[in-house]
Parts: sequence; structure tokens; C-alpha cells
Amino acid sequence: MIFWRRKTREAELDEELRAHLSMAAQTRMERGAEQQEAERAARREFGNVGLVKEVTRDVWGGRWLGDLLDDARYGVRMLAKNPGFTAVAMLTLAFGIGSNTAVFSLIDALLLRSLAVPAPRELVRISFGPPGTKGPLSGPMFDRLRERQSAFTDLFAWKNAPMVLTEKDAARPITGAYATGSAFPTLQLKPRLGRLLSWQDDEPGGSSKGIAAVISEAFWIEHFGGDPRVLGQPIIVDGGTATIVGVVPRSFNGITVDYAPQVVLPFAFDVALRGKSSCRFRADCTWFSPMARLKPGVGFAQAKADLATISGDVLRQSLPSNYARADYLRNAILSLTPGRTGSSPLGEIYGRELWTLQALVGLLMIICCANLASLELSRTLNRQHELVVRSALGAGRLRLVRQLVAESAILAFAGAAAGFVLSQWMSSLLVGYIEQSDFPVFLDLRPEAATFAATIALATLTVIFMGALPALSLTRVDTEEVLRSGAQRTVARKRHPFAASLLPVQVALSLLLASLALLFATSTGKLLRMDPGFRVKGITLFGVDFARRPEKGEARLGLYRRMLEALRQAPGVAAASFIAARPLGEGGMDESAAPVEGNGPETKHLFENVVGPEYFATAGTKVLAGREFSQFDRLGRTPVCILNEAAASFFFPRQGAVGKHVRSTEGDAQGDSCEVIAVVADAKYLSLREPAPPTIYYPYEQLPDFNWAGFITRSHDTSAAVAAFKSALRRFAPDTPLLAPITMQRQLEDSIGKERLTAALSLFFGGLALLLTSLGLYALESQRVAQRTAEIGLRMALGAQRKDVHWFVLREAAVVFAIGVPIGLALTFAASHFIAALLYQISPLDPRIHFVAVMTLLGAGFLASSIPARRAMNVDPMVALRYE
Amino acid sequence: MPEKKERYQNRIELLQGTLDLLILQTLQWGPQHGYGISVAIRNRSGEILQVDTGSLYPALHRLEKQNWIKAEWKVSENKQRAKYYQLTAAGKKQLTRERTKWSQLSDAMASVLNPEQM
Repeated sequence: MIFWRRKTREAELDEELRAHLSMAAQTRMERGAEQQEAERAARREFGNVGLVKEVTRDVWGGRWLGDLLDDARYGVRMLAKNPGFTAVAMLTLAFGIGSNTAVFSLIDALLLRSLAVPAPRELVRISFGPPGTKGPLSGPMFDRLRERQSAFTDLFAWKNAPMVLTEKDAARPITGAYATGSAFPTLQLKPRLGRLLSWQDDEPGGSSKGIAAVISEAFWIEHFGGDPRVLGQPIIVDGGTATIVGVVPRSFNGITVDYAPQVVLPFAFDVALRGKSSCRFRADCTWFSPMARLKPGVGFAQAKADLATISGDVLRQSLPSNYARADYLRNAILSLTPGRTGSSPLGEIYGRELWTLQALVGLLMIICCANLASLELSRTLNRQHELVVRSALGAGRLRLVRQLVAESAILAFAGAAAGFVLSQWMSSLLVGYIEQSDFPVFLDLRPEAATFAATIALATLTVIFMGALPALSLTRVDTEEVLRSGAQRTVARKRHPFAASLLPVQVALSLLLASLALLFATSTGKLLRMDPGFRVKGITLFGVDFARRPEKGEARLGLYRRMLEALRQAPGVAAASFIAARPLGEGGMDESAAPVEGNGPETKHLFENVVGPEYFATAGTKVLAGREFSQFDRLGRTPVCILNEAAASFFFPRQGAVGKHVRSTEGDAQGDSCEVIAVVADAKYLSLREPAPPTIYYPYEQLPDFNWAGFITRSHDTSAAVAAFKSALRRFAPDTPLLAPITMQRQLEDSIGKERLTAALSLFFGGLALLLTSLGLYALESQRVAQRTAEIGLRMALGAQRKDVHWFVLREAAVVFAIGVPIGLALTFAASHFIAALLYQISPLDPRIHFVAVMTLLGAGFLASSIPARRAMNVDPMVALRYE
Repeated sequence: MPEKKERYQNRIELLQGTLDLLILQTLQWGPQHGYGISVAIRNRSGEILQVDTGSLYPALHRLEKQNWIKAEWKVSENKQRAKYYQLTAAGKKQLTRERTKWSQLSDAMASVLNPEQM
């Protein structure tokens, strides 16, 4: 609307002034002057029409908007005229802003974002364990605590549990969770449809209508088509039936950041299903991760103190009487942590790596900005002439600055938009890295306000840094001198301190990033190549949940035996066996044990695993002494066990362990002792980075109560093994859900997911930084050569050789590196303290790495300067001098 | 080049209040366009006050904005479309105010410059 009015106002003003001119000419003609002379005189008397229009327009006010648009249009035209610069600038920005946004949105999702409930700051988490650990509570602990506490409006417990959904005849794994009745009321959530669980639903047996369940909105839409008639429908989970009573809104995805339950059931469901073996009321089963909401007016510190006072009593009343004898439990307390963000196991695992990455991309952003600033600077230098003419036409300094800033702003926001799009792609890439193959990660990476804000803030910073600062320093032009000396030779002498300092900074930061990249990559390489103590190639792992099978005890063992037999017979499978705790998986148990013979010490942390016959041959772990488990080691026979080298030398130092006995010393129970029938080589079950734990192996034949069965096969070809397993399962245990089979190679890679993530990304960012710095150096050198063509010509005319000219150009680059490299090394030294913990078997100060990094940087720099240097060498002195 | 702008600014500073008064006074004698106003002021001041366009037109548009004068497009004597300005009722009142202020000012100036004549 304003513009329409303005247009007519402009047209009117134009006409008004033209009328004035014509009337003035008319008057002169009436007095006898010639028409041409009259018009010229009238114009002279009138003055500068354009200027008059301008000052008149000033009166109108609201001018700034029109000026802004003009600036914008001009800016776009100028950018289009320099497609090379514009493309490089936009790409630089896109990568800089994109990677920052991607990493930040991941950090936001995993570490910073609050749960989507009212007043999330009031939420806290309660954990149990020795000081410093955050373990779950048992059911009785939770109930006692709930009775005695006074700082919270209420407590609730939540337990994520993968479940199996049965419909028609097919079984399908789903993500589920158990919650106490107090959960949804304490969270203060409103249902999307129907109602949410309440205390009545958690009563034994549920209500008269059976046990209630709620489903997630995503599940409701995907599985039930968003049909409101889903309310009242039955749902069969883990073999038990519940009735759907409501839908949980989409914004709430459970209290764990990376696990979104599709179905939430009350704990009463588990009790109904499993009776006495349910964890709900057992004192020895820690299953509950409780959260609580602070009472209004009660602060965190106060609640913490309150908890500390009642902790002792609660534990005494709820733990088995002899708990203090177990080392682990003796010093255990109940502790409180803020729960605003819920729990984020991924966040806890990857937290440090993510912040490291954020630091890396932050550095990259600085390099990008510096690069852009120096590119922009050199471009503006080329526009001196234009700036001067505009200044001569009456533009104030502020006006010129505003024009340049507008251009930078357009570039910055266009780059930011591109960066934002790029960041979405990069985010999904990052999540892919973090995903463990059998736990698909659910991360709500919808761009949140925080991400938008971060992107815009970065863009604005870039504008200021790369646009305004150079503009301010450059518009201080001396009109006379510039106009007189002609367009080419401007600023030849003036060395801009700003530009000069940018490039060494870039070099320093690039060196830092390159060194870090090499360090992380080498560290990860070492981890990948290390011998874990078992075969990696050709091994496939299978996991099956036999909980719903009717066979128990001896019959169950028979099932396992039949499966193994079928596997061994299958074509393409060289060997097969049974293994309960996968190597580098999350399973495995800790046990306390002591040797029977000799004076060997007792240990609390013996890693326990259950394996089948021929396991070590299948897995490729060397048997150092003794024999493998065989089918004769069964129930009723002598209990046997196998130790690894670490355990054997711990219990029976300097003696052979074979033939000796080891006894379990858990709590009060004096366990049976087992005879050690073999010693095997160490194998890394827990983590590639740590040395192998002392391990004891039991034969599965002597422990029949395993519901979770893990099978391992060795084959040339993974698909053969998978096919064999599937057919065996179909034959002997149909309807049993099978978790996706995984190769050992993949398992290994997953276990060092963090390290691989950091290595890959730091290599990428390091490479990018190197590229940008090289581009910056190239641009600067080209600029310098173009400006000093005359000087070079003169030198050559005076007898300089080509190689002298070459050195003349390279000298500039050499100075930049002479300053930048030491700074970079100093920065790396400073950073080494922080990253030492992230590296494996390599010191952050390893000179070989730094040598390679510096050489790479110098090589890139040399390449970047050699092109302009070549151009300088080919300057024809005659042409150059003539240009003068 | 920059000094020319300065000249305009100087002019405006000098004549801001007085130029307004001159314009309002000129329009007292009937509607007139920009050129006509500048000619009238020059003539009536005996060629002493030569208002240049860089001051005149901003002043005219400013006065129009303040609703002391209003504009209308009419055909002039020599068959040309021109923008004619005329006083509004509020403009007439403002003219009286300005004239009073001016005589007060000139009286004050006179008494300072010629103290004996008091």
C-alpha cells in the first residue's frame, strides 16, 4: 500500500518539478530568449533536479524501507555479477551454518530439550547405588519411599521394555513401557483421545474391565489408522490381554529421550502375567526408574536433603536383611538428579563426543567467517572505484556501509537457508551413526525454536563479521586520490591489518582441526584393527526370546540342542554354538567368586557368560589348556566351568587352573563349586578399549532357565547362516520373535560407534577447513598479484628472474604460515588436555601426527599459492608497465 | 561535490522558520504553484530573497504534511498541469501566529541593536 502511494507521490513530484522547469523556460522565452537557451538557463537556475527530489523525499519520511529494498535489489545484482564468489560464499556458509545447526540440534534433542510436560523443571530423577552411580530401584524401595517422602507431590516409576504384540497370527516386536498409576497424573499430561492411566489401573488385576493400556499417537495413526473406535479394543502383548483406553499425545515420547514407547501398560499387567516372578514386588529386582515432581515451593536442594534423611530407613526396610555384606550395596544411597530432560542414555554415552563435535564445528564456523571476510574484503577492494563515484554523487559514508551490509545480509541469509536444509540431511546422517543396529533410535529431530534461533544468530554474526567490519574500514576513502590515480591502482600500498590477520588465524585453526582429525582417525583405526580375542570375519549372532515357549527345564535344553544340531547340519554353516552374552553386546553378568584351592584372592567382578559346546572353536578363541564343554557336561553331572587367562592367573597364580575348583560367593549363598576344565585366551566382551575382564564360562546345559538364547554361527556367507537359522527356528519354535541377526563385524563397529562418529566427522570437517583455507589463500594471493602487476612488471624489467618473481609471491604465503603454524601447534597443545580421554593408545602430543598435519597444511598452501605465482611469472613487463 | 549539499543544508537552516512564513504569506494572496511562489517571493523582496528549489520544495511538502497548506492539480495559464497550493484554515491561523512571532523577534532585534531608541 505504501509503495503504491509512494509511486504516485514520486510521479507527482516528478511532474511538479518538470512543470516548474517548463514554466521557468516559458518565462524566459516570453522575454525573448531562444527555446534551447531558455531551457538550459532554467535548468541551471533550478539546480540539481535529482538532489532536489532527494531532499524533498526526505520530508516524506518512511524512506528507509524503500532504501532498504533498493539496497537489496542492488545487492542481488552485484552478487549475480560475480557468480564464482557468490557460489563459493554460499557453499562456505551452507557448510558452516549447516554443520553447526545439525550438531546443535542433536545436542538439543539428546541433552538440552525438556520433556513435553507442564513445568518440566519441577521434575527430578531418583536413583539408587553407590555414590556416583545412577541405578534403578526395586519395587519395595519405590513403595517405601513413596510412603515416607514429603518433598514431592508424587512419585512415579517408568520402565522401558521391548514387548511383543500379537495380532491375528503374527507376532511383532514393539517398543513398550510400564508405568505406575501415578505416572500420567504426576506428569500432568492430557490425553489425545480417551484417558490416560491412573492409580486405579495399577491395582492388582486392573479394574473390572481388565487391565488398561494406552498407546502413542504415532502408533495409533500408523497402526490403527487414527480410528477413534480403537478405544475399548483389546490388545495382546507378551501373551496377556489389555484394553486400550486412551492415546498419549504426540509431543510426549516417554521419559527416555531415544526410546519412544508405542504402548504403555501399568505394572499390574506384568504382575498379572508373571505372578511371583514379576519384578514388581521383589526385593532383589531393581527395575524401577522413578521420577518425581517437586511440591510447589520446594527447591531441589531441600528435596535432596529430605531424601538423604529418609534414605537410610527406606533402604533398610526394603532391601534383603543381609544387603550390607555385598560390597556393591554397602555404601548405596538414594540420590536425586534434575529430571527436566528426562533420561538420556544416548546423551550420557555420547555427551562428551557431541560437545567435542560442537567445538569442532564452532571452529569451522570461525574459519568460514574468516574466509568469507577476506573474500568479501578483496571484493570490496575491487569496488573502490564504484564506491568513490557513489560518494562523489553525494552518498554519505553510512549509506555506503549500509549498502555493503545489505549485500552481506542477503548472502548470509541465503547461505543460512541453504545451511538449514543441509543441516536436516546432516542430522539424519549423524543419527545413523549413533544408531545401534538392534535398538533403532527414535530422536525427535524436528527443528525446534532453539535450532532456528541458532541458525539465525550464526547468520547475523556472519553478516556483522564479514560485511560490516570490512565495510567500515574500507569506506574511509580519499576521493581525490582515488579518482586521480585510476581504478586499477587503488589500495596497492595500503595493507589492511584486518585482512592480514585473518589468514594466519585460519591457518592456525585449520591446523588444529587437521591434527584433531588425524588423532581421532588414528585412534579409531587402532581400535578397528585390534585383535579382540575372537574371530570377527564370518561370525553371525542371533538372539531369540524363548519366554513364551511352553518347554521348561530339560525340555528347554532339548530345544536348544535341536536348534544347534540343525544349524550345524545346514549347508554353508561351518560351526555353531550357543552364547548368552554377546561379545561387545550389552549383556553379561558380574559375579563374585573365589578359588577353592590355594590362597588365591576372591574377586567381586568376574564376568559371567554361558556358552554351548564347541563355542571357542566357533568363536575363534584359543583354548590354552584343557578341553571345551561337550554334550556330556549336563545337569546331574559334575558342575564344570572354564576360565579365561586373566581369571586363571588371578585365582591360581603361577599354577595351572585346570582341575582346580572355583566357588561362587554371591551374598550369603555358598554356591556350588565348579571344576575348571579349561583355560582360554582373553576375549574382550565389554569394550574394545578396556582390557578383557576376568571371565568365567558355564555350559548352558547346566543352567536351563535361560529365556534369552543367543546363537553364534561361523560361515563363509552370512545369508546362508541367516537362512539356516530362520528355517531351524521355524521348525522347532515357530512364533518366536527373532531379533535382527547381526554380524560380528557390525557388532564391533557399533561398539565403537562414538569413536567412529568422531573420527569420520572430524576428518570431514578437517578436510573442509583445509579446503576453505586453501581457497582463502588462493583468493588473497590472486588479489595481490592482480594489484601488483605493475610492480612485478617493473621488477622484471629491472632484471628479476622468473624464479625471483615466484618467490616474491610465495613469500606472502610463507609469512602467513610462519605465523599461523606455531599458533596452531600451540592451540593443539592446549586442546590435548581435553581430548586425551577420547583417544585410544595414542598420545595427543604424538609428533608423527603433528608432522603429517603440518606437512599437509603446507602442501595445500603451496598448491594454493602456486597458481597465482605462475600467473605472476607469466606477466609481460611491457604490458604491465603500459597499463600504468 | 559534498559541499553543495552543505549549501542546501545551510539554506534550510537559515530559512526554515522564515521560509515557511514567506510561503504562507505568499499563499495569502491566492493559490499558487511552486514556481509562482518562488517568483513572487523574489519580486516582492526586490530580488533580494532568492529561494532555491532545494529549500522550496521540501518546505512546501513539509507544510502540506502539517496540513497548513493543501495541494490541488490544476491547469496553469500556459495550458500546463501544475500543482497548486493554497492555505487551509489551520494554515491561516499559523500564518497569524508566525507573523506575531516575527514582529516580536524583529522588535527584540531592534532594541538590542539600537538601545538609545528605547
